[in-house]
Amino acid sequence: MSENSINVKNVSKKFRLYHEKRTTLFESIVGSINRKPHYETLQVLNDISFNVKKGESFGIVGRNGSGKTTLLRILSNIYQPDSGSVETNGIVVPVLALGLGFHPDLTAITNIYQSSILLGIPKDEMAKKIDAVIKFAELEKFADTKIKNFSSGMQMKLAFATAVQVDPAVLLLDEVVAVGDLNFQKKCLAVMKDFKKRGKSIVIVSHGPSDIENLCDRAMFLKDGIIESIGKPPEVLETYKNFMRTQDKLPYFKQLPF
Amino acid sequence: MTSIREEMWKTRGILFNFAITDLKIRYKNSVLGVAWSVLEPLLMLAVLFFVFSQMFKFEVENFPIYLLSGIITYNFFKNGTTIALSSLSNRSSLITQIYFPRSIPAISSIFTASIMLIVELAVLGVFMVYFQFTPSLTILYLIPIYILAFVFVLGIALGLSVLNVKFRDVEFIWGIILHAGFFLTPIFYRFDMLPEEIRNILQLSPVVQIVEMVHHVTLYGTLPSLNSILYSVGSVFIILVIGYLIFRRYQARIVEEL
Repeated sequence: MSENSINVKNVSKKFRLYHEKRTTLFESIVGSINRKPHYETLQVLNDISFNVKKGESFGIVGRNGSGKTTLLRILSNIYQPDSGSVETNGIVVPVLALGLGFHPDLTAITNIYQSSILLGIPKDEMAKKIDAVIKFAELEKFADTKIKNFSSGMQMKLAFATAVQVDPAVLLLDEVVAVGDLNFQKKCLAVMKDFKKRGKSIVIVSHGPSDIENLCDRAMFLKDGIIESIGKPPEVLETYKNFMRTQDKLPYFKQLPF
Repeated sequence: MTSIREEMWKTRGILFNFAITDLKIRYKNSVLGVAWSVLEPLLMLAVLFFVFSQMFKFEVENFPIYLLSGIITYNFFKNGTTIALSSLSNRSSLITQIYFPRSIPAISSIFTASIMLIVELAVLGVFMVYFQFTPSLTILYLIPIYILAFVFVLGIALGLSVLNVKFRDVEFIWGIILHAGFFLTPIFYRFDMLPEEIRNILQLSPVVQIVEMVHHVTLYGTLPSLNSILYSVGSVFIILVIGYLIFRRYQARIVEEL
């Protein structure tokens, strides 16, 4: 299966949904004497199987809470699946909604090093690329500024620029496609095209149907942790839009573009 | 999936990186910066010296050096364990976004404490020169003693780092234990000032053993007894195993609790 960069087989994941979370030892002791079930389990992902080929871009759509981010976290090894297996070939870089794990009290440069070392790029190798990261993110003036003074757009740009220079085999993008101004978006698209040309895979989670339609070769619609449909983006988006319409209680909403 | 050892090797650069950033974050926005890691034990020394040599008239030979060597050693335990305690919970944004071995924050905390220890030992050296105290060659045994201390702190650090994510009151309990430990360890008094029954209990503590060893080799030019060495090595090893088992029990799912 060497033409695939991601193989997901029968992955399931449950979370405990605590109603009154026990976080102190005292509550835990009281709770163990007073044996009421204090949580219910939530099946976030249920028997998910799919694969992503090298050089392919793969879109995931679904409502909030349908398991998209959990799936990306499992792909990047942050969460362990309860059952099933995930195989990935090469470095996987997740650019999740909050950036790349940047620390607010460290400068942009320090954060780039920290994240890239964690992703498996040694510091001396990254040192050669650091100018390119800053330049791509258009943050030349802010290289020595602490992240806490960055706007969320600037953080996102920095995260994307770092991810690009790490040059992973698989790039996971969670709600970050529409980040930045128009010029930055254009650069992102160019980079993604180049990635695909070099046989790298991209997984995109987005609520914007046009992103999925324009960027993805294949797509998947997750509904309450189950794959509702998978295939060509237009067909998948059609099922997704139909589903969303049935959920829609507000009549005027139907006039929106999708 | 690569093995844990392989992963540790790949991300070894991050150990040092975390240790340095820990120091940077610790002293952020402070005017004196890293100088605090020298000033703090010195101010502590001044207070204890005044209270116990001027007010209580304790008679301990070379009291300033006795005090400082004890404070430094105890500080190493205190710094290593308290930094490790919050090392995972403070990095929640990083841990939920990038995968790396969960033991790295705890281990790097001890490196942070080790850097501080080395700085403080240099101050001890300055003190020895100032008070014209010439230690005997046994002072070289500080190296194996501090390696033993390192392993001891490692065991506690691994356990505390995951427990503090599960139960936030670990932080408060540990604070009290550290406070109590300071008074129950021969730092500002000589161990033989205590009644024998109390000594028999207190010497079960590896911290008491290690601080006494430090006194032996720096001040008296003597070696600790074989019994004390065997006991310390044995108890430190047991604590390492317990700490590791606690860590292993919780580490995989810790990210879901953050």
